[in-house]
Amino acid sequence: MKSKRRIVFILLTVLVLVAIAGCMMVIGRGHTVYFDNKTLEGYEGQDYKAFDRVVVTVKGKEVAKLDKRDRGMSIWIGQNFKMTLAITEKKGDEPVVKEVSIKLPYSVDGIVINLPAYLAGLPEDAWYSEFVPAATEEPVEDEPGIGDEFGMEGDLGLEGDLGVGDI
Amino acid sequence: MNQKNNLSAGNSLLEQARNNAVPIMFIIICAIFIPMAGFTPGYLVNEIVTRMGRNLFLVLCLLFPIMAGMGLNFAMTLGAMGAEIAIILVADWQIWGIPGVVLAMILSIPFSALLGFICGTLQNMAKGREMITSYIINYFINGWYQLIVLYVMGSIIPIVHASIMLPRGYGIRNTVSLLNMRQCLDDLLAIRIKGVKIPLLTFILIALLCLFIVWFRRTKLGQDMRAVGQDLQVAKDAGINVDRTRIISVVMSTVFAGFGMVIYLQNMGNLPTYTGHSQIGMFCIAALLVGGASVEKASIGNAFLGVILFHLMFIVAPGAGAFITGDPMVGEYFRVFLSYGVITVALIMYEAKKRMAKSKAGQELARAQKEEGGAQ
Repeated sequence: MKSKRRIVFILLTVLVLVAIAGCMMVIGRGHTVYFDNKTLEGYEGQDYKAFDRVVVTVKGKEVAKLDKRDRGMSIWIGQNFKMTLAITEKKGDEPVVKEVSIKLPYSVDGIVINLPAYLAGLPEDAWYSEFVPAATEEPVEDEPGIGDEFGMEGDLGLEGDLGVGDI
Repeated sequence: MNQKNNLSAGNSLLEQARNNAVPIMFIIICAIFIPMAGFTPGYLVNEIVTRMGRNLFLVLCLLFPIMAGMGLNFAMTLGAMGAEIAIILVADWQIWGIPGVVLAMILSIPFSALLGFICGTLQNMAKGREMITSYIINYFINGWYQLIVLYVMGSIIPIVHASIMLPRGYGIRNTVSLLNMRQCLDDLLAIRIKGVKIPLLTFILIALLCLFIVWFRRTKLGQDMRAVGQDLQVAKDAGINVDRTRIISVVMSTVFAGFGMVIYLQNMGNLPTYTGHSQIGMFCIAALLVGGASVEKASIGNAFLGVILFHLMFIVAPGAGAFITGDPMVGEYFRVFLSYGVITVALIMYEAKKRMAKSKAGQELARAQKEEGGAQ
């Protein structure tokens, strides 16, 4: 009886931990959101012009001031992305403030939003694209774990940093 | 009569000083070094508070094996390795902020528990030589850790992000950035008092662990652990499953070390993949010993005092080294040899005390036998 209760307790604990881990995976998924203030040309035969200026505020913090052809970015944890845009359509106009809420796809790390297309109410394929980092030639990194374990290659391991670092 | 009282008071003071030689020595060193280093009190307090938040959880997890008489658990590093594997996975899955920290802690549990179980089982096979065994197990498991992180991750365990993978396509980079997790625990609920940032949430977690330790000592399992720590044979005769109790103490220590390592890494904001865990055990043990703990006895107070003194020395040593010799590297060397030296001194003192107690007991037994013989 006692061992049965114990097994139930262990299973319940594991279940609770798995449930918490699952929740954390959903609510903690981080994304990098990029905002483009660029003209969308020739979408179904029409151009959607870039704004004169857009100020992007995320969680009360101004993250980007975008002139024409500018790109800004912000990080966001979770899937319900919210931002406030202060849009100046033409030079000399008063900025119009808009609250925007976008559902971010779970599997995508970097999301690019074309603001003129999004604010024109176009379908998702017009304003949404996935950010693909440009491939760069990387400097060769020393392979870790290769070499003399005792750090006595030539200099008896006594030169330079002691490897203590900041503890 | 008065002279006798003075003599006994002097003896007890000497005994106290002898028992607390290491903390007293560190207090003197710090008192000499602080003015030489020339830091402001505000800076020192800020640094100490930050380092307490970073290290205390790790130091406290050493108390469980000491409770069970297994000495200083050098194998707490295994928990740190478990946490590092968990944090690499969490970083690759892009789980950021507090959820990332919580997920890393949960994920570290199976790794740390498994490694703790292996370590506890091996230590049971080497009773009486637990510390050296745990020290060597450390190296053994480190080899496996390197194999997993260097060859299995990316080739068998899927790793998606190129930013944490070596350019060759498998294996993890020397450093993994935890920028999106950096100090998220410390900053949440943080308060500032006269420019000193107090990471309240981290201290709440430390306080919870302290409360758990206090509560645990009073439970049946805690009492069993203490009984095992006092005398293996007596505990066995009393019907306690000695081996199981010892394994549980090591498992608890490694699991909490895993949590502690996650707290440590979120504070640092990056993970040195191949070296992050290697010196954690040594420095935590040194800190605990500096606080006045010994191989067979340690308390929460020792952990707090140790972290404060040890890290105070760490902060001021390079400045003092620069003041004395003009080269901060001397201070750097000084703090390294002091930390290893403190462990050596503590181990020697423990052994010497044990021998003294043994010979004293032998003498008393001989005297008692002599008196008994005389009476007959």
